[in-house]
Amino acid sequence: MKKLVSFLTACAVCAMGISTLASCGSSSSAGENGTINIYTWTEYIPDSVIDKFEKETKIKVNVSTFSSNEDMLAKVKSEEEGAFDIIQPSDYMVEQMATQGMLEKLDTSKLTNLSNIGEQYLNPSYDPGNNYSVPYLGGVEAIAVNTAMVSDEIVSYSDLFDPKYANQVVLLDDFRAVIGMTARSLGYSMSTTDRDELAEIKTKLLSIKPNVKLYDSDSPKSALISGECSLASVWSAEVALAMDEVSSIKVVYPEEGAYLFMDNWAIPKGAKNIDGAMQFINFMLDAENMSMVLAEFPYMCPNTEAIALMGDEYAANLAKNPPEDVIAKGEYIKNLDTDTLAIYDQMWTELKK
Amino acid sequence: MAKLTKHSFRSNTLPALTMVGPVTLWLAFFVAIPLIYVFIMSFCSLDSGYNVVFEFTLANYERLFDPNYVQIYITSILVAFFTTVLCIIIGYPFSFLIARTTSKHKALLYMLVIIPFWTNSLIRIYGWRSFLGANGPLNNFLKEMHLTDTPIQFLFNRGTTVLGMVYCLFPFMVLPLYTAIEKLDKSLLEASSDLGARGFSTFTRVIIPLTMSGIFSGSIMVFIPSLGYFFVADILGGGNSDVIGNLIERQFQSGNNWPLGAALSIILILITLILVKLYQKMGGDMESLGV
Repeated sequence: MKKLVSFLTACAVCAMGISTLASCGSSSSAGENGTINIYTWTEYIPDSVIDKFEKETKIKVNVSTFSSNEDMLAKVKSEEEGAFDIIQPSDYMVEQMATQGMLEKLDTSKLTNLSNIGEQYLNPSYDPGNNYSVPYLGGVEAIAVNTAMVSDEIVSYSDLFDPKYANQVVLLDDFRAVIGMTARSLGYSMSTTDRDELAEIKTKLLSIKPNVKLYDSDSPKSALISGECSLASVWSAEVALAMDEVSSIKVVYPEEGAYLFMDNWAIPKGAKNIDGAMQFINFMLDAENMSMVLAEFPYMCPNTEAIALMGDEYAANLAKNPPEDVIAKGEYIKNLDTDTLAIYDQMWTELKK
Repeated sequence: MAKLTKHSFRSNTLPALTMVGPVTLWLAFFVAIPLIYVFIMSFCSLDSGYNVVFEFTLANYERLFDPNYVQIYITSILVAFFTTVLCIIIGYPFSFLIARTTSKHKALLYMLVIIPFWTNSLIRIYGWRSFLGANGPLNNFLKEMHLTDTPIQFLFNRGTTVLGMVYCLFPFMVLPLYTAIEKLDKSLLEASSDLGARGFSTFTRVIIPLTMSGIFSGSIMVFIPSLGYFFVADILGGGNSDVIGNLIERQFQSGNNWPLGAALSIILILITLILVKLYQKMGGDMESLGV
């Protein structure tokens, strides 16, 4: 018995040792034309695209990943300057980092492929003039309806609050998305700081509680596909994947104007290889390279040329390629001050208790 | 006298240091310093960029009394309570069986409890989610057997949260119970029977009191983690029934308020300390908690 236990412990220790060694090995050896360190969201850039860049430019790419903007910010702050050449902040985080002077100004004349980006995605509210950021991929908080289970016509976020859909809705486990959706349904901004508006939002927010079957940010499509939920307010890419599986699922863009997010390329202040970073960003703006990304990750893509390459079926898929007016009517969230965030957090806690 | 002390210093200190030193350093770096850090942070403030600044405040502790938070503490304690009770009810007969069996496969039975530990608990919890799902094996089986036409919605309520916690923490109940029952002196059972006690009364008046230490330490080791297992509440409870762990996790993630998260952690640490003190008061053995 004892022998068995000590044997197993030894196995575990060995396994840990091997994995540590392996991770040491992978980050060595610079490329012929230098190295860039990029810090991106998990599951966002296919390896094939990185390999292609390395082959074409002979620049070695080291990729590290994060899973929330706040994690990324904390890491960039705590690392020494120059640890990363490229980061991937979302809309509001671009604004926050730019105001704190944490981003390099981009020389857009070097980005020859920038013209591939659709007009509606340029010059965004969070970074007027695209001084600090170039859009990569994004999404819309869209409504999914399983028309086999729900016969009414769903047109807005507001419809999801209807008491007749008790226990049928899956929402994102994300307080900005859920509170934002509630704010839009009342005609308010998703980042409102007005205390009266917030009180009204809170009342409405709590009224959706009986309708919510679950909160899931990782894979809300599963509950839709399995039929556990017939309605959802989740990222458009999730809806797209659910539609591929179940033909009766349809995407609806809320008439109040949807929650938009956009992840961007940006260069943190003090980056060591700005030239390499600019080459990488320009490479990722190329229509063909971007279409390789879309084949794996069907997020909302600002690169209209890449979408053209994906074919008519892709372009016509409303969930994979949201129509222009959805972007025009939509809203990006803004960073909140600490007092307001506490109010948001409190109502979220009350909803989820 | 002084000479004597000096002598013993020479002979004992160095060997003792080499033995105890690494453990002390380990505990200092990985237990004491982080704890102190959490404690200090719980009194810090946030600046407008959500950075932690060392400015003394009690605001984080004030927010702990938010009625919503209090309600979550209560539900969380209830969830932990039911988890513990279920673990005892299922774990006791099981431990009794493997501790008293005369089978040569005793070690194997014991290992069966430990083997699931080799898989990450997150993955096992996701396994339960697909097992209990509307299209999962359980519902398919029930449909095949014509026991139900429409899938039964097992998931996403407080019951499945408790189920997941019981599943995750079951070994922590079984192991101390096993040790306690294993130590049980057989002659005491014979004596009880000689004195005319029947099976049931032997069980309640001899076996239970003698294995109480195992029940206590098992309960502590199940109760405390289940206050913090936020991922079980998220994945199997569907995020509808938060536990204290969810509150802490949220402040370190989306809430972006590390000092408040630290204050909430202090609450959890306090509950733990109180329970362990109670356990000691009731005559519990610290060694069987793995301390």
